[in-house]
Amino acid sequence: MINFQQVSKTYPGGHRALEKVSFHIRPGELAFLTGHSGAGKSTLLKLISLMERPSAGKVLINGVDLSAVKSRQIPYVRRDIGIIFQNHRLLERHTIFDNVALPLVIEGTHHKQIAKRVHGALDKVGLLDKVKCHPSTLSGGEQQRVGIARAIVNSPPLLLADEPTGNLDPELSMDILRLFEDFNKHGTTVLIATHDLGLISRMRYRSLTLKEGRMSQDPLAEASL
Amino acid sequence: MSLLFKGRESQNERAKKSFIAAGYFFVLNIFRQGIHSLGEMWRTPMASMMTIAVLGLSLTLPATLYLVVKNVQQINSGFEEAAEISLFVKESMSGQETQTLVKRLALYPEVDKVTFISKQNALVEFKDVSGFGQALEYLDENPLPDVVLITPTSRHRQADAARALLAKLEKEREVDFGKLDIAWLERLNALLSLLKESVITIALLLLTSVTLIIGNTIRLSIMDKKEEIQVMKLVGATNTFIHAPFLWTGIWYGIIGGLFAFICVALMMWWLGAAVTEVAGVYQTHFDLIGLSVSEFGSLVLLATTLGFVGSYLSVNRYIKEIEPDKV
Repeated sequence: MINFQQVSKTYPGGHRALEKVSFHIRPGELAFLTGHSGAGKSTLLKLISLMERPSAGKVLINGVDLSAVKSRQIPYVRRDIGIIFQNHRLLERHTIFDNVALPLVIEGTHHKQIAKRVHGALDKVGLLDKVKCHPSTLSGGEQQRVGIARAIVNSPPLLLADEPTGNLDPELSMDILRLFEDFNKHGTTVLIATHDLGLISRMRYRSLTLKEGRMSQDPLAEASL
Repeated sequence: MSLLFKGRESQNERAKKSFIAAGYFFVLNIFRQGIHSLGEMWRTPMASMMTIAVLGLSLTLPATLYLVVKNVQQINSGFEEAAEISLFVKESMSGQETQTLVKRLALYPEVDKVTFISKQNALVEFKDVSGFGQALEYLDENPLPDVVLITPTSRHRQADAARALLAKLEKEREVDFGKLDIAWLERLNALLSLLKESVITIALLLLTSVTLIIGNTIRLSIMDKKEEIQVMKLVGATNTFIHAPFLWTGIWYGIIGGLFAFICVALMMWWLGAAVTEVAGVYQTHFDLIGLSVSEFGSLVLLATTLGFVGSYLSVNRYIKEIEPDKV
């Protein structure tokens, strides 16, 4: 599903964020991406969601080489990827409903369909009663769940999460991870970037570790190449 | 449309049945966005009203100047009607010959009325009117020529047509020379065209400023919604989708600003109307101010709408490109 081949990323100014990173995440897999802050986790996610382009190497998603994607096609790539951000990135001026509905509105979905799917997504994250609230009236954990509902509302085949449990206590973090497990059971490929090692150790999933821009501890990566 | 996953189609695309239905939804969506933008403007009524007032007043000035020109032209056309040609008959001509000339002139298709003033009549009239009665007694002979007054038909009363007619009439054998008193008319016309030119210049300047005002307002609104634009780009919004509400806002500013300008002009006309009637009364004439016609009202609003669109388009094209999501 996600295939990195010798990918390097050097930012203008000479900072080397990633160096010859290779790995392969299979369809239907759930994987963690770990490493200290500044190890290149965010850069790696940005390369998948086309916020950045690699300096060298190839990124393939579902066999499609992302370097072949023109900039005006980027929106259509992003519609296939649900992204969850550490700081939620909700629209403060809009209701929870509007926030979750955004990806569907962008795709031009019929409004009856929108209502049905938004309610479905909010039901999954257990926030159906907050439909008409504004993000600022919600707690941090609730806001994060709204962000997740927005990411899954158009049922994307691929889900990326950047520090989804960053500001949450262990119990809430576990709830969120259970949600990701649930989506994964329904066939979605999930990649979660986190530095919360305690959390990962409690779950038996593959984890990719980045250290100063290099990939370490991923025996599966070598096996797949 | 899915680039990465060929089999994956959005719910929406499956729902679309025919080409016509797709077109219908496309148009419906555009208007829905339009209504939505109007709602957005309503959320900040003070700021929106102030922008609209600035635009309205900027449009009021050129519209008023346009009306001034239009009304002056109305006066001017009233005067043009009075064009009259005086033909002076050569002194050597006999009375018989002059009479034939008068008859011949009356047959011209361009001529409406011919009045013959003989030199004797002219002298009598001149004595009465000028006050030189006594002095004229001392003259040995009548210094005045015979005069034929020509009133052209309405089609030949315009300055150019009347001048052409004069040239034609001067070719008559019996005519010494002719005179068309249009110098004052030409001066008025020159002033009027100067006025028109300055109106066009001022209008161009003000319309440019309207475009810039709208462009800047939209720019500020884009900057204000930077976060939202980033999020929209992250969840897969195309540029067209992000542009639409801003373009609509520009268009609404144009439409409402145009209406505002129209109301201002109408109020001003109503205010001045009474004063103009009074002035006309003093001069013992009747004069009605002409306001904006329906088509001119339409043009004003259409022009304002176009400027709104152009202004917002310039900003949207320039600034939304720069906003890219850079932080995950």
